[in-house]
Amino acid sequence: MSAVLLTRLKITDLTAWTALEAGRRLLEPGHALTRIVREQLLLFEPEAGARAESFESRLEEAVRHSNFFVNPNKETYRLLTSAERGEVWSPPEGAWGILARTREETADEGLKQRLLREHSMPGLASIRRAKVWWLWSRGPDGGPAIPALSRALGILRDQKHGLLVNPHGEAAMELTDGTPWAVVERFLIDPAPAFRAAA
Amino acid sequence: MANVAVLQIPGVNCEYETARALGAVGLNARIVRWNEPASVWSEFDAYVLPGGFAFQDRIRAGAVAAKLPAVDRIAAEAERGKPVLGICNGAQILVEAGLVPGFHPGRVEMALAPNRAPRREGYLCRWTWLRAGQGPGREWFAALAEPDHVIPMPIAHGEGRFLTADPEVRDRIQKEGLVLYQFVAPSGGPAQAFPFDPNGAMFQAAGITNVAGNILAFMPHPERATWLRQVPMDLKNDWGGRRRSAVGQWEALEGPGPGRVIFASLALKLASRVGEGARS
Repeated sequence: MSAVLLTRLKITDLTAWTALEAGRRLLEPGHALTRIVREQLLLFEPEAGARAESFESRLEEAVRHSNFFVNPNKETYRLLTSAERGEVWSPPEGAWGILARTREETADEGLKQRLLREHSMPGLASIRRAKVWWLWSRGPDGGPAIPALSRALGILRDQKHGLLVNPHGEAAMELTDGTPWAVVERFLIDPAPAFRAAA
Repeated sequence: MANVAVLQIPGVNCEYETARALGAVGLNARIVRWNEPASVWSEFDAYVLPGGFAFQDRIRAGAVAAKLPAVDRIAAEAERGKPVLGICNGAQILVEAGLVPGFHPGRVEMALAPNRAPRREGYLCRWTWLRAGQGPGREWFAALAEPDHVIPMPIAHGEGRFLTADPEVRDRIQKEGLVLYQFVAPSGGPAQAFPFDPNGAMFQAAGITNVAGNILAFMPHPERATWLRQVPMDLKNDWGGRRRSAVGQWEALEGPGPGRVIFASLALKLASRVGEGARS
């Protein structure tokens, strides 16, 4: 099990605001988008046979006492240790999410090397990057209308459909009620699935 | 004289020099705001989407601007055969709008991803070397580029790596010769690594056209290489020599730079079309 660091801006996130404004224009009638929050995700993957507990306390110190991962003047964070995070990842109340990763290798070797220069992390194999968009939406029936909203705002297909993820550069998965962390880990570790523009 | 619209979007910052570069080849360039009435767009013979950071590159470079009604209008004019040149951020907008390469009309078939080079990341600003290909965009955007000539041109981008996840799109781009401009080594040989391959784009692409050849998504900045005075003196090919020879000669410094070939090719083709129109 990996440890996960989620950071978000505590100052106004203009990118999220723009996504909200641009996204609203893509919605079908009867649908509403009330809020978007953007988070950066770092997944700290232990070496084979090792456990995240071997570096989590050092990681916690590195996050809290350095500006390495978090700028406390601008950002807030949640460090989910392997013990604390539970088996499933539940969205914030009323929200659902789109988790996006680069189609290429998600491990940031440069970041890991820079971290290890200052903070030893025994058993750390890799640091993987992804981005989460949390959306608060409503369809004609009062529910979140996830399929419709995902079509409108998720994977970019043409000028009128999709916004947050260009599938030629990124792969994405939806985060609805309680996504198992094991699924999230596989999504970030495995090669991105193939994509056909014409499909 | 052909009329060219230079699309001004909040965050774009190269519209004035682009208009000047178009003027230098005899085109009548007008900067047109993104929110002007829909009827204005059909008045023009060609369109240029200049460089900059439209909507601050929020979400992704070009992602928000690609949704603008103005881009829709320009796409409709392009469908009627009018040329569209997207420079840097303009190229990102064209790709995000699905106008290039356009195998499946309307579908987004590529991305301009963050630069990728060993031990380098982020924004990159430097002079590069290009060679023009023979694809369908040649008559619009490279007619005056000599086949084996190496053209120096500056780049300035963080997300300039053309790529597609679809192998069929990739194959067709190659087969149909849509890579109109390619990064090369100063000798003209393949750009096998950084710095000659500056961003890791597929096929070392610097500019890719649509199938019809009238839309070019071009990452370098030709407007920053339109006059000889803009060329750095330490460039290692004949352009550097010309620049050094021109020191102190104001008239020579106001002569054409290597980037002018793109605008001049566009002007030439537009002039021939105006001629065709007059004859018909």
